[in-house]
Amino acid sequence: MNNHLSEDQIDDLLIGDLAAEPTAHLSSCESCRTRVAAAEAPIASFKAVSLAWSERRSATLPPQLVRTASPAWHRHAAWAATASAVLLVGIAVPMAKQAARSTPVAATAPLAKSSAQSGVVTASVQPAVQPQPAGARTVAASYSSQDEQIARDNRMLQAIDRELDASVQSPADAFGIDPAGSRLTLHGRNAPVQNLD
Amino acid sequence: MQLALDANMTNVQAPAERCSSELDDIDALVRTYRPRLLRFVTFSIGDADLAESITQDCFLKAYNGREKFRGDCSVNTWLTSIALNLIRDQQRLQKFRFWRQARATAIDVNDAANFLPSHESSAEARILAREQTEQVQAALVNLSANQRAIFLMRFADDMDLSEIAQTISMPINTVKTHLHRALKAVRAQVGGTH
Repeated sequence: MNNHLSEDQIDDLLIGDLAAEPTAHLSSCESCRTRVAAAEAPIASFKAVSLAWSERRSATLPPQLVRTASPAWHRHAAWAATASAVLLVGIAVPMAKQAARSTPVAATAPLAKSSAQSGVVTASVQPAVQPQPAGARTVAASYSSQDEQIARDNRMLQAIDRELDASVQSPADAFGIDPAGSRLTLHGRNAPVQNLD
Repeated sequence: MQLALDANMTNVQAPAERCSSELDDIDALVRTYRPRLLRFVTFSIGDADLAESITQDCFLKAYNGREKFRGDCSVNTWLTSIALNLIRDQQRLQKFRFWRQARATAIDVNDAANFLPSHESSAEARILAREQTEQVQAALVNLSANQRAIFLMRFADDMDLSEIAQTISMPINTVKTHLHRALKAVRAQVGGTH
């Protein structure tokens, strides 16, 4: 009587569903073990090679999951922070407006405007509201110190202009020509307007 | 004696708690399961690039839904079931080309045979492994989606029959039937035995 495993029993063995009797036969039959090994080999090769392939592929991928995975508590914290910021702005803006109404001088900072034609910074202080007599002395002192600062800035700018003018060589210098009777300033700000006619 | 028993009881974590902590560390989760999961998805759909995308979605879905994991199966089984659902979603939406149309972008595992541990196999053995892999791969093309998924779960991921039945939501006898058909097809392709 031939007790060797059938092909279906070999399949059962590979699947992991072989009955006890054929299993007992397998332990004592070299021929059947060889057949089982031959049936297993291609699947084992596929398993090993495909795993090597996927491990290699996984190793070359950038670890971007951590960045893309946003935990729930992160989202909640972001929402809470946004809500807090909106609430703070909602409270702070009306308070700031109210403070500006009560102290108009502080809110009207003097404007410094540069003049492109003259190159001189001029003070242009235009308070929106006339200062109250009680604070007039303080405000006047503040304006005076700002005027002095502006004057110092103007002097410094003019000194810089002169320094730059002296260091820049005009192409006309090589020919000993003074095209406009005087050297043009680098920025043209302090140069007198020439009559081209 | 009682103290020792208490110490053992405090050191033993419940399976759900242990798995939940494993799911909390997404780096470790990806490091541990990505190669197996990527292989499962890749050889299920036959498109390596799309498989990477699905694998990534799978990890994100698992991580975001880790609170729902009850620990009544292994993490690998849970991840595989998520991957299987994502694959089915893709199949329904026909967002990818199926195996038969995917030959142009077929998975090139030929190079992978060269990365098999050299101390375990000679050059001849690696050539043989490459040929056998190509034959199994060719056989997988002709299987149905369920047969292919079940074959991969059993023979690539070493999942037992009950795990496969749980993952794919099928009776265990149906799983066996699919496995028998898949195995016959693969063995016929490889050795012409059936």
